[in-house]
Amino acid sequence: MAQIVLFHYFPRNSILHKMDGRVKLICMILFSVAISLVQSIPSFIILTASLILITLLAARLPLITLLKDMKYFSFLILIILLVNSFVIPGRPIPGFPLPGVTVEGVMTGLIASWRLVLIIMVCAVMTGTTSLITLKNVVEWYLRPIPLVPETRIATMINLTFVFIPVIFDTVSEMLSAQKARCVEGRRNPLKRIMFIAFPLLVQTFRRTEELILAMEARCYSDDRTRAVFATTAKDWLILAFTVLFLAFILFYSF
Amino acid sequence: MSKPNMPIILETQNLTHVFPDGTVAIKDINLQIHAGEFVIVAGANGSGKTVLLRHLNGLIRPTKGKVLLEGEPISKNIIAARKQIGLIFQDSDSQIVGQTVAEDVAFGPENLRLPPEEVNRRVKTYLEVVGLSKLAQQSPHVLSGGEKRKLAVAGVLAMQPKIIMFDEPFTGLDYPGVVQVLRQLVSLHQSGHTIILVTHELEKVLAHADRLIIIYRGKIVEDGTPEEIIGRSEQYGVRMPLGENERVDAMTWLK
Repeated sequence: MAQIVLFHYFPRNSILHKMDGRVKLICMILFSVAISLVQSIPSFIILTASLILITLLAARLPLITLLKDMKYFSFLILIILLVNSFVIPGRPIPGFPLPGVTVEGVMTGLIASWRLVLIIMVCAVMTGTTSLITLKNVVEWYLRPIPLVPETRIATMINLTFVFIPVIFDTVSEMLSAQKARCVEGRRNPLKRIMFIAFPLLVQTFRRTEELILAMEARCYSDDRTRAVFATTAKDWLILAFTVLFLAFILFYSF
Repeated sequence: MSKPNMPIILETQNLTHVFPDGTVAIKDINLQIHAGEFVIVAGANGSGKTVLLRHLNGLIRPTKGKVLLEGEPISKNIIAARKQIGLIFQDSDSQIVGQTVAEDVAFGPENLRLPPEEVNRRVKTYLEVVGLSKLAQQSPHVLSGGEKRKLAVAGVLAMQPKIIMFDEPFTGLDYPGVVQVLRQLVSLHQSGHTIILVTHELEKVLAHADRLIIIYRGKIVEDGTPEEIIGRSEQYGVRMPLGENERVDAMTWLK
């Protein structure tokens, strides 16, 4: 897990890093909506080019490294391509050995995959330029006006999930080593080997959770906490205005 | 070294806790702790030390009896009591709630709804106090055992408590780790904090304590200065940490 950098935060001093997280999230959503709506190939090319420029110049993220991590989505992309190729009706591809594959299907599949890759890139730019603390605060800020939604508790849950993930991975790795030391490889049944990890892991996680609850209580945890302070600058509004205009222009041309 | 002329800061009256299965964890504990005292509570595994500690800041409610902080029952305002009585748990990993070192220290002050500027000021101050300023933006997960315990201390100090309780602070630490934590303990005591420390490893800390309490099967069986009691500790399952003719203050691990 540690090798995947796709949704990691990269501490940099770029325009997007300095941006107000709330405005950045709106821009990200607008970009994702635009990517979902565009139809024409030229619009796709413009969106892709702008996203590459944003990643490299505005966010100063390692584009090639991020693209390499797309391999983790290759199975999903392949499924999208295959399903579309066979399901969408249309003209068969001349000379193609597999019956049922259509030109329209392959085209739709390619566009859907392209869409997916672009949306993943938008998410990678967002997470790459926004620390988890800021992301958590932004989510909390947007949830605040919604009645009956315990926004602080949700934000704390998001936070604790990210705190616990490395701890759980460490525990699994330690349990695996301890079981290897007792020759667990001798067991052929993979289901049993999963059980040997799953049960102690569950017990350990519950024990840790209980301790964490006590520790949080000892430090006076309550939903009524100090709220994060955001600062929106003229630059943020300018970026938002430019994003809206740019995407409106692309959508207008696309239809 | 004892502080009988100082006012009583924490007191328990007939404190008893019986678990649902009928096990008596602690029974009729009557204890008076003076402001500025350094008290060690020792006892064998399962003697009731941790249960007693968790009663002192209201994490566990007693079956019978009460805990008084500066003459007032802590049950009257449990949050105010927890603000005054900090607790550092045995397992540092389980009490980390922040994704960065600084965020973890901020957790307590944020729970107290302090203004953001005050939260930041306290984070900066107490990271400096424990010597973790350079690691402020690091993930707590990558810290060493000694550093994690220092982080837990900073997290509690940031709430500016009068009393700081430590549950087995030396467990799992190597020699430099023990010295780091010990130095912290001594400096906290010198700065006027009341320290209550639960341990069975007396040799690491006894030289710096004013008072030693031994718990055996849920009851206080010895209470006095270390010099008075140390010769009788082994009958209660606590190893006598020095040879017959050695002085207690000569045992210090600090040079």
